[in-house]
Amino acid sequence: MLDLLHQIPTAFLFFSSAFILLFLPQGLARNFVLLGTPIIAAIQIWTLGMGDFSQFSFFGFELELMRLDSLSRIFVLIFCLAAFLGNLFAWHLRDTIQQVSALAYAGSAIGAALSGDMIALFFYWEGTAIASVFLIWARRTEGSYWTGMRYLIIQIMSGVILITGVALYYYDTGSITFELMELGSIATWLIFISFGMKCAFPLLHNWLQDSYPAATITGTVILSAFTTKLAVYALARGFAGTEILIYIGTVMALFPIFFAEIENDLRRVLAYSLNNQLGFMVVGVGIGTELALNGTASHAFAHILYKALLFMSVGAVMYRTGTSKASELGGLYRTMPKTAIFCLIGAASISAFPLFSGFITKSLTLSAVAHEHYTYIWLALVFASAGVLSHSGIKIPFFTFFAHDSGRRPKEAPLHMLLAMGITAFLCIFIGIFPNYLYSILPYDVDYKPYTMEHIAGQLQLLLFALLAFAIIYRRGLHPPEIRAVNLDTDIIYRKLIPSIVLYVSFVLTACFKLINIFLVSIFESLLSRFHHSHGPDSPRAASWPAGAMVISIASLLGLALFVIFFS
Amino acid sequence: MKKFKDETKNYPLLGRWISWVDKPGSSQKIFYILILLCIACFGLEWTYEKHAYFAIENYKGFYALYGFIVFSGLIFVATLLRKIVKVREGFYEEKSIDTEKYPEDQIQRIDHNA
Repeated sequence: MLDLLHQIPTAFLFFSSAFILLFLPQGLARNFVLLGTPIIAAIQIWTLGMGDFSQFSFFGFELELMRLDSLSRIFVLIFCLAAFLGNLFAWHLRDTIQQVSALAYAGSAIGAALSGDMIALFFYWEGTAIASVFLIWARRTEGSYWTGMRYLIIQIMSGVILITGVALYYYDTGSITFELMELGSIATWLIFISFGMKCAFPLLHNWLQDSYPAATITGTVILSAFTTKLAVYALARGFAGTEILIYIGTVMALFPIFFAEIENDLRRVLAYSLNNQLGFMVVGVGIGTELALNGTASHAFAHILYKALLFMSVGAVMYRTGTSKASELGGLYRTMPKTAIFCLIGAASISAFPLFSGFITKSLTLSAVAHEHYTYIWLALVFASAGVLSHSGIKIPFFTFFAHDSGRRPKEAPLHMLLAMGITAFLCIFIGIFPNYLYSILPYDVDYKPYTMEHIAGQLQLLLFALLAFAIIYRRGLHPPEIRAVNLDTDIIYRKLIPSIVLYVSFVLTACFKLINIFLVSIFESLLSRFHHSHGPDSPRAASWPAGAMVISIASLLGLALFVIFFS
Repeated sequence: MKKFKDETKNYPLLGRWISWVDKPGSSQKIFYILILLCIACFGLEWTYEKHAYFAIENYKGFYALYGFIVFSGLIFVATLLRKIVKVREGFYEEKSIDTEKYPEDQIQRIDHNA
């Protein structure tokens, strides 16, 4: 049985399950397929061992669909886990579109992580884009339709840039193998930019904050796990040790914390926070040492869990209240205490409190940065760590479940949501207390002890004094209030500025065209009328026309034709 | 329909426990506990030997001071940023979800006492 399972590429397991779903009635049968597929896939990956398992020819290219090594394995395993938890959270869902899309999306992300060549990578890369957009459209409102369109355009563009880069890379090197590349040629730059778009590099990041809050409640939980972490994997595979990534990652870790602080939609706060977490991972890839890549992989693993947990808790609140706006929430711990506690666990994990998962993973990256003596980068990342506490650690739980009483008394989240949040919360704590289990599946051997007195005291000082700063600022009423507003980000360039420029230019051009048209037509008309007046049937000249004028014209035309044929 | 009395005793057990935080004086207590924790954590500095990567880490209370300053700085810069980037909620109206209500058929809005 296991042998048979090992023959099937993991992505196809998901695709076939997505297809089977269509023939099953809504309810238990579908839910078992939705939950069973990731479990079977994880068993397959766990028992398969390392190596290349599935090659086939495609227009003369050798494609590798199952390259399982220590780097791809950890990403595939966490993708399976995320798919399981996301689908458990969505147990109540009776929407075929979202169910099929969730499986196809997870399958594509897993397929991409297992691709040994860049053509298969491209197909799965576009697969994630197409499958995931339905999680946004499934909200079925006009706003989500347009947001989905913007998301799709950017994601597909990333794929198009990727395949252009791959084609040029093949032209340059004669290889399509997906392996470590060096930035330099146009080809590698294109591939790099394509990865950067999905990874939400600064200025290429807006799709993330635009689209994730627009997806359905369960859709956002699923979305948060795959696309961006796939891009982190792709960077770790293709561009580990590329120095520019250190600086890109640092900017990524820093700028979203300011936006997250003033954002009102809590799911958008989490999207900014996701962006900031990606920054840490990208810095790790940029450093490129074994310690740093271990940091990136473990951080991605832990991050998928606590970010899903936070999205789930805000999602559960939204499921009961219909909103995720901080200005309309507050004081919900009274009737949703379990959700509140799970949210606090997610917040503690992302803030990297000792005994929670963030602590044992983020410190790997920070140590790697320190080890390579990047002083300013290190200071910036420690700053960003305090920033994480401010928006994900404090803002999300505090303004949802505590702070002022919104007067809302919603019922506790449904059982399956509590179960999904409970398992995720348990994993966050388990990884935090027993880091060795996670360390044992990292790409390289780990010789690192997170729980030294120095680490614990340093981190606690940072976090507690930051909390103290918050307490003082909040008590003095200096904290920016939660208000209904939208904050402009660089996406205004393509959402407002370019459309208005296009509109303006098209208005001016149309006006010019009309003017020229009117001018030309009037000239032509006046010419015609003069000609008609002088040469028309009623003109004085008509009387003196020779009778054989027509015959002469035809004869000269025929002569001309003969002339042309003779010489051509 | 029975009118729901919004009293603490109607909340779930866990909610009743946590509602301690809203009792008068509790926030003051939490604040003092936090200060105590901060002092304790600062005191830990003298209990271990540092193997710092950077000289700056060797100063006593570096993380404490850094955490306090950057956090406060972050809040104030963010407040300034809001002045620049804030626009009304309907700025991207129709083509974004900012002002849309979440479709009622996709959620289960139930009150605690229902």
